[in-house]
Amino acid sequence: MPGGIAFEFPRLFFGGFWLTVQISVLGLVGALVLGTVVALFRVSPIAALRWIGGSYVEFFRNTPLVVQLFFLFLGLPFMGIRFSSDTFENLFRAAIVGMATYHGAYVAEIVRGGLLGVDKGQLEAARSLGLSYPGMLRYVQLPQTFRAIIPPLGNIAIALVKNTSLASTIGVAETLSAAEIVETRTFRTEEAFLTATLFFLLLTVPLGIVVNGLERRLLVAR
Amino acid sequence: MDITTFLQEHGLRPSTWPMFADPAIWRFFGEGLRETVFLALASVALSFVAGLLFALGRLSRIGAIRWASTAYIEGVRALPVLLLIVYFDIKGSSLFRPIFGPDFDLPRFWAGVLGLSMYTSAVLAEIIRAGVLSLPQGQTEASRALGLSYAQSMRHVILPQALRLMVPAMMAQLTTVIKDTSLVGTIGVFELLKQGRTIYTQFFNPIEVLIIVSVIYFLICFTLSQLSRRFELGRVPRLAQVKIQEVQLRDQAA
Repeated sequence: MPGGIAFEFPRLFFGGFWLTVQISVLGLVGALVLGTVVALFRVSPIAALRWIGGSYVEFFRNTPLVVQLFFLFLGLPFMGIRFSSDTFENLFRAAIVGMATYHGAYVAEIVRGGLLGVDKGQLEAARSLGLSYPGMLRYVQLPQTFRAIIPPLGNIAIALVKNTSLASTIGVAETLSAAEIVETRTFRTEEAFLTATLFFLLLTVPLGIVVNGLERRLLVAR
Repeated sequence: MDITTFLQEHGLRPSTWPMFADPAIWRFFGEGLRETVFLALASVALSFVAGLLFALGRLSRIGAIRWASTAYIEGVRALPVLLLIVYFDIKGSSLFRPIFGPDFDLPRFWAGVLGLSMYTSAVLAEIIRAGVLSLPQGQTEASRALGLSYAQSMRHVILPQALRLMVPAMMAQLTTVIKDTSLVGTIGVFELLKQGRTIYTQFFNPIEVLIIVSVIYFLICFTLSQLSRRFELGRVPRLAQVKIQEVQLRDQAA
C-alpha cells in the first residue's frame, strides 16, 4: 500500500505532518496580519510609510525564501537574537516567522489591490459623514476589501503549505524531513518520498478545490 | 552608545568585511552565480517546450490527452518544488531504472533542472492556456473558415497572439525559477546560495554573506520583474487576468 511506511514510523511521519500543519496555520495568520499592516502602509497618506511598505514588498518578493530562512535561523543568533533559548523551538519559530514575513509581502499586494478596488466615493462619503481615517478603514474600506480578496488569499495559503517544505533545509522535522530521516534509516527511498508526497497532496488538493470553486463564484458575481 | 560598538556587539564586526575586498571571494560567488544562471536557463528552455505541449494537451479535443495533461498540471502544481527536486535526485529511482538500468545516477545539476522544469512546465502550461482562452472565439472560427487545419490555425493564428500576450507573465515566472534555484543547493549543486554557505562555514560570517547573496538575487529578480512590465502589450481579458493572478500567487510565491 502506498504510504504504508507512515504507519511503521508514525512519530516521524505524523509528527512531521502535524508540524507542517502548525507552521502553515501560524505562518498564514502571521502573514495575514503583517500583510494587512504593510498594505495599510502602502496606501497611507504619509509618503514615508508608503516607501517603507513598498521596499518591504519588493525586498521579500525578490529574494528566495531559503535565503530568508537561513538568515533567521543562522544570522539572527549571530546578532544575539533568538526566538527561543531551546534550539528546536528556535528553529520552529524561525520557520513560522520566515513564512509570515515572506508571504506577508504577497498578502500585502493582494490587500492593497483590494483596498484600491473600493469605490473612492464611498471613502469620501464616509469621511464627510464624520468618520475618522481609522474609523473609515475599520467600518467601510477593510470589510469590503476582505470579501473580495478571499480567493487570492486561498492561493497564498496553498503556496504557503507547499513552502513549509523549505523548513526542512534549516532542520525543522516536518513532513519532508521525516521522509529524509526514514530514507537514511531504511533505504526505502521511494516509499518514503511517495508518502511525503501524499501528505502534501492531502493538504493542497482540498485547498485547491475550495479556492477554484471560490474563484469561479467570484467570476460569476462580477 | 556609538554606532560602531552597537554593530560590533550585534555581530556586524568590521573585521569580517575586508575579506570581501579579495577578488578570490568574488570569483567564488561568480562561480555560484554562473551555476544559478545555467540552472535557470536550462529549466526555462526545457519547461517552455514541455509547458507548450501540456497547454495544447489540456486544450485538446481528445479526451484521454486532455485528462492526462490536466492531471499532470494540477498534480504537479499541488506539490512543493523542493520535493520534486529531491525526488529526481534519488539514486536508481524507478523513474530511470527501466531505461538506464539500476546503476544510473543522474548528475545533480540535471536532477535540479528536471525538478525545476517539471514544476515550471506545469505553471507555464497554465499561463499559455490562459492566453489561448483569452483570445476571442472568432479568431479560431475565422482561421478555420479560411481553410486552415486545427494545427495550422494554432501555429499561425492563435499561438503567436497568445504567447505575445503572456510574455509578462512568463517573465515573472522566470524570476521565480531564479529564486527556486536556491533550493537546488540542498541536493549539492554549488549554486549561489550553496557557495555562500561554503564561505560562511569557513569564515563564520553568515550575516555578511547572506546579505551579499540576497542583494545579488534581489538585483537580478527586481530587474527582471521591472523589465517584464515593459512587455505588457494590449489588454488582457478578465478571465485570463484571474487565472494569471491565481498562478502568480499559488506558484510564483514558491
